[in-house]
Amino acid sequence: MKRDREAVRRTNLRAAVAWALAAALIVGMLCLPLYSFSATVFTKKSGNTFVGDEKYLAARAEVEEAADARRAANGGVPVEIVENVTERTNSKGEKTSMVAFEVREEMRRNGWQFLGSGLTAGRLLGAALACVIAAFLLMLAGLRGGMDTDWPELPAAPHRLRRAAVWLALVALLLVPVFRMACNLAFTRQIKLASDGFARPGFDALLARLDAFLYGGSAGEDALKLMAGVSYRAGWALKALIPLLAAMVLSGVVLAEGHPAETLRKGLLYAFIIALCALILYPYYVMFITAFRSNAETTDMNFLHLLPTAWVWSNMRDIVNRGVLRFLLNSLALSFGATAIALVCGIPAAYAMARMNFRGRKAFLGFVIMSQMFSPVVLLVGISKLMNTLHLNDTVWGLMFINAAFNQAFAIWLLRGTFVSISSEMEQAAHIDGCNTVSAMLRVLLPMAAPGIVTTLIFVFINAWNEYTISTVLISTNANKPITVGITQFSSFNMIEWQYLFAAALLATVPVVILFMCIEKHLAAGLTAGGVKG
Amino acid sequence: MNTIPVRRKWEPYLWLLPSVVLMAVFVVFPIIIVFKQSLSEISKAGVVGGWNNFENFRAVFRDPAFGTVMLNTLVWVVAVVGLSTLLGFITAMSLNASFRGRKLARSIVVFPWATSLVIQASIWNYIIKFEYGNLNNVLLNLGVLRSAVNWRVSYQIEFAWECGVGIFVTIPFVAFTVLAGLQSIDNAYYEAATVELTVCTVLNIIYVFNSFPIIYTITKGAPANKTDTMVTFLYMRAFYDNQKGPATAMSVIGFAILCVAAGLYMVTAMRKEEA
Repeated sequence: MKRDREAVRRTNLRAAVAWALAAALIVGMLCLPLYSFSATVFTKKSGNTFVGDEKYLAARAEVEEAADARRAANGGVPVEIVENVTERTNSKGEKTSMVAFEVREEMRRNGWQFLGSGLTAGRLLGAALACVIAAFLLMLAGLRGGMDTDWPELPAAPHRLRRAAVWLALVALLLVPVFRMACNLAFTRQIKLASDGFARPGFDALLARLDAFLYGGSAGEDALKLMAGVSYRAGWALKALIPLLAAMVLSGVVLAEGHPAETLRKGLLYAFIIALCALILYPYYVMFITAFRSNAETTDMNFLHLLPTAWVWSNMRDIVNRGVLRFLLNSLALSFGATAIALVCGIPAAYAMARMNFRGRKAFLGFVIMSQMFSPVVLLVGISKLMNTLHLNDTVWGLMFINAAFNQAFAIWLLRGTFVSISSEMEQAAHIDGCNTVSAMLRVLLPMAAPGIVTTLIFVFINAWNEYTISTVLISTNANKPITVGITQFSSFNMIEWQYLFAAALLATVPVVILFMCIEKHLAAGLTAGGVKG
Repeated sequence: MNTIPVRRKWEPYLWLLPSVVLMAVFVVFPIIIVFKQSLSEISKAGVVGGWNNFENFRAVFRDPAFGTVMLNTLVWVVAVVGLSTLLGFITAMSLNASFRGRKLARSIVVFPWATSLVIQASIWNYIIKFEYGNLNNVLLNLGVLRSAVNWRVSYQIEFAWECGVGIFVTIPFVAFTVLAGLQSIDNAYYEAATVELTVCTVLNIIYVFNSFPIIYTITKGAPANKTDTMVTFLYMRAFYDNQKGPATAMSVIGFAILCVAAGLYMVTAMRKEEA
């Protein structure tokens, strides 16, 4: 669609005005208070004082004076006096009282004060501001001489400049929440940890900066105590930054690409994918770092790091000493056995279903489908009774057969789909050459169906490897436990050894996740092969 | 049809024999045992007696926890199947679009499917601990939160977390089934995806209904069966309280419910077979 120059010019002009206005407003917002702090600036304790007596009045007068001094110094900033009365009865039965006065002041800090504070938050805000200014200048350069050029015809150089400007505005947008997080860290988390005696390295420098930022350096020794009493909230100027930056990004997209809808859709797609992947990987991150932390660190509520402070590799040695290798071997044996049995029984059945016409074919297919609903959990009582009868209770062999049987339906379903999708011409030719059905299948069909067979094999293997419920009922001897049951020995009712639990879980997870990633491409095809190509 | 000639009439049955024997012994036989036990008197020692006039079933319905458990099961199935279908569908649509890093994203999405449920549940159990759990730890250390939040303040919230973990681990299954539908036929895009979705939803209902490790790991049904679903409740009755009679009766009730779902599945799967 070709638009006339005038329409393009009008759209561009509107977007450019919005862009410039947003940028100007953002700079303006920095002059307004971003945070308002309610902080104690003066304290006075008066012992053995009852409300209303002489001592009280004297102390009160002193506090009023200090409050007035603050008011005079800060030009009408709200200052309030808080008094706490503590009454006690001493050992002689006399009543005593103590009054503690506090002068609280509302302190407002604007963007420029943050910039000059030397705090991490200030640096982040500075970076955001730099991004906004740079974006503004780049856009200015990119707009020169191209205001009425339709976007598809935009030369590469201005196009690139405009795109760069949008990216910078986006970075600034993302920096705002990071700035707020940095504020929370400096004003709450670090102070609380230091008050509890877990100061991070470099905390003294931070405290000095906070003192300078809020108290003008006058708090000195009391800084930590005073800071612990500070409460704060975000001002409306800070809250306005995100919508303003979003407006800047949007108008920038119009200037750079002309059609914000498509760019937005793409942006949303990326945002969704990134958020989804982050969410999915999060538990694996937790498992990984916890597996190498010390026991004290796993249950430390003041743990300050996103990674272990010291990687405790010996956790792996410890779990090996507690029999995890045996569990892994059991799992391996059980999964290989189950896969072998499932395929040896499943391939001929799938072959008959795919290649032969016989009475009862439909009925068998129905039975196969039906058996997918027979979960072993509902049948646990029956299964454990059966295993007792067969003397397979508490053995890896029993688990093998059960897993093979309960994966039979899926194996037949997948294999049949693969066989059906392969033409039978070659087998018929083999028949004419005098081969029997068995050797025709073995020599001709199976090599061609190899990808489907491998997919089925891996799928059954993983199902058996991850199975937990039947194993936990059937197996009681430690030496026969598969890994999924084995790891539960690290979590007893009142004490969970998280680091061992997750170290063992890591060993159990990594191989199968890699296996699964290998068949992921075939998985999508395999799932439908059963039905669609019938 | 892509058939080959069969020389002897009984030959196809010979091919089916190993599979039939395996399933008959390890699937059909336990079903028979469960049905038989549900109608018989069972002593504490586990000796199966005679017909007891549906006493096991009556015991189940008399159990005051049974109502809560059934309600929980309903919430669990509806919430997990419903939301994981919705989110899985969105995920499949996104993964089907072309973007940079799509291969990597697909490999990552498959992770929860490949991981044992008991392991996933253990990790989430640790993540949401109040005192030292990783979620509070990470959010506090990043500065997102100002003070620690108790993520499991009540059993209702804990049950909601369990549903959340259920949804989380089910999304890949839905996403990849729908993705398979999207890829198998290029035209009639959405139609193919919805056919796939019907089959997948019925299968999902069966899987989620039978899902055991998440609830068993995170709350074990505590407090007082308030977060139990049917399968965890049944397990506790059978193997902790040693009430095999009522437990098997509950299995049969579970069967009846699943039969409805499976009937639906048969119809849709068979229809797909004809198509």
